[in-house]
Amino acid sequence: MEQLQISLSALKVLRSSVGQVFYSLANGIRAEHGEDNKENKYLLELQELLTTVGTNLRDVEQAVNSLNPPPGPFNLGNTAYLGQETTQDRQALYGTLVNVYKWTDKAHEYSNAAHQILSQNSLKRSSMNSNRAKRNRIQTGAHNFSPPQVDQVMASFDRLYSDMSISITRPFTSNAVIHVTLGHVLKAIIAFKGLMMERVVVKSYNEQLDLWSESRYKVFQRVTDHAHATMLHFYNPNFPELTLKSFFAWFHSFISLFSDSCKRCGLYLHSALPPTWRDPKSLDPYHFECKP
Amino acid sequence: MAAPIGTAMDSLSAALKSKIIPNQEYFLQGSILDSAVEVLLHRLRGLCDNVDTGPETFHDHEMCFSIRRGPPPELPLFLRVRRALDYPDMPWQLRYIGQPELGDKSQPTVVRSSLDIATSNTVVEFLTELGCRLDFEYIIRGYMFRKGRMKVTVSKIFKMNQGKLPDGMEPMSQSYLVELSVLAPSGQNAIAEDIRIFAEQLKPLVQLEKINYIR
Amino acid sequence: MGTGSLGRTWPAKNKWQIPGGYENGENINSQSLPIPNQKNGGQRTVHVLHNSEQPASVFAILEYGNKVVPLIADRLFDLVILKMTNVCTDKKQTKIECKGPRFELVDFCIKLGSVTMTQNFKGVLVEIEYRPSVVPANCWELIREFVQGFLGSAVSSQIPQYLQNRMNEIYQPMDTIHQYLEHFGQYRKSTGVI
Repeated sequence: MEQLQISLSALKVLRSSVGQVFYSLANGIRAEHGEDNKENKYLLELQELLTTVGTNLRDVEQAVNSLNPPPGPFNLGNTAYLGQETTQDRQALYGTLVNVYKWTDKAHEYSNAAHQILSQNSLKRSSMNSNRAKRNRIQTGAHNFSPPQVDQVMASFDRLYSDMSISITRPFTSNAVIHVTLGHVLKAIIAFKGLMMERVVVKSYNEQLDLWSESRYKVFQRVTDHAHATMLHFYNPNFPELTLKSFFAWFHSFISLFSDSCKRCGLYLHSALPPTWRDPKSLDPYHFECKP
Repeated sequence: MAAPIGTAMDSLSAALKSKIIPNQEYFLQGSILDSAVEVLLHRLRGLCDNVDTGPETFHDHEMCFSIRRGPPPELPLFLRVRRALDYPDMPWQLRYIGQPELGDKSQPTVVRSSLDIATSNTVVEFLTELGCRLDFEYIIRGYMFRKGRMKVTVSKIFKMNQGKLPDGMEPMSQSYLVELSVLAPSGQNAIAEDIRIFAEQLKPLVQLEKINYIR
Repeated sequence: MGTGSLGRTWPAKNKWQIPGGYENGENINSQSLPIPNQKNGGQRTVHVLHNSEQPASVFAILEYGNKVVPLIADRLFDLVILKMTNVCTDKKQTKIECKGPRFELVDFCIKLGSVTMTQNFKGVLVEIEYRPSVVPANCWELIREFVQGFLGSAVSSQIPQYLQNRMNEIYQPMDTIHQYLEHFGQYRKSTGVI
């Protein structure tokens, strides 16, 4: 790199001295040369300029000779394709470049904002072990399961209950998102990180299932909130399968969402809502307001 | 609610009056031999609105019913039911087609009233119980192109095979039927001009013209 | 959506200020067209119904002896029926309309319709729809309890006749229409018009 810099600067110097020569030639004899011996002085000046040019030329030649030619053809990568289509308009390069730039800018901005917001909550479910010896070993937490293992676990839960069916999709590369259908009563979509549940959305049987939109029915909005609470209640980083087992047992009890009355008050409806709360241990139905 | 509640019939008659219901069909028909149809498809792909994944194919089963309206001098009412064999869950189409308006020769296209209605799949039973008789049925398979409001179809008609083997269908003729049509509310004659201009562009390959059904 | 409908003459209208409920007007209307006997004999009737919950559809039910054929179609079907009425009969096209306010309370939808047959008042129909559920068997008791809350002991514990065989099937808008037709039929019989 150094050599390249040196040769480039030598080239610059040469160019400027040649420029000087042409400049003085163009101007001819000027007033500075005085009255006597104008021509001699002018010729002397020209001679000086030309010797400078000669020295600079020698410098450039020296610098260039000490440069090594590159070992092979340059690896241009994708920019090699730039040479194929010379018309700027046809390339659509500028447009896509601008979009890429905007996209990366936005990605930076959003991730900064997200980091700020998420760091405000100091409650975390992952355990950080600051033991030096263990730092080099990858901890097998609930979120480190490989996709085939996750698939196996889900298949076993699918078989466990006859009226609950589970199907797995992976729209976000390796993390599973499962669709659970409970009889004709409700449908839910659960997003996982490995075997750890991240988010649940519960909707009615005839609604479009989607991770981002809530159900339009109040009863299912309540059930979604309860599902999140139960998910955190059962969370155990050391026994992820036990967590899932208890969660699905609890979830399965919702098959009687509309057909069971509240255990405490005996009615089906309380402020026009059925009993949406299920006791985590006994799985008895209660209204949220009646829960023990 | 302070405002009076309108009935369904009110809104329908209001719509009819303001001429927003497409109840007229302007169309031209022609045919092209099997040997020349590839060329026609290429030309249509170039002329029509861009379809990136190739032209849309369709495979439909059409049944034509008629029901007597009264004693013989009265013409029976014709209704057609069409269902897509390649998309069995799509709604079925019920179509009422009137007699083409006998024209003045200056009209570039045939104009007839037509109503297209989407229905559930019980429509055949409904019509048969109503007293409609099945006149004939056929299977039609081909390509559909769009240009603005115009629909261009290049299709082949097959005889119904009693054994229900889809591959063993027998074509009715050695040629394809080409149709250009637009559905529009009544009174928009400029559309007929557009159709005629498009038909000119297909000229040497296929001759699209008004066909006099009576003859 | 499980729905039960009860036909009751129900006087006091001002109880209907349910906290949290809001109202907008809706209606259901139907037109029945009897068709004259044809070669097969027997009376055929086509009922054409519109429901403002499904504004883009027309429901048609054909009754022929014991057979019932339902059909759902676009609004333009009305025009086809108009053309066909030249085929069919002249006489006796009765029109029944059920019109009134509609309330929403949490996930329930309550419609109070006053039934009129060609300008004559016949009665009141109350329709309750519980939208989150799609199988009637699951939520029948729940709906019953809800209705008991405002209609009191007038509520029968019997499942409506149309739904008796269909309690475990997924509920469709056509089922609502069938139930309305049942009640309209009762109104027609009571006045001697078929």
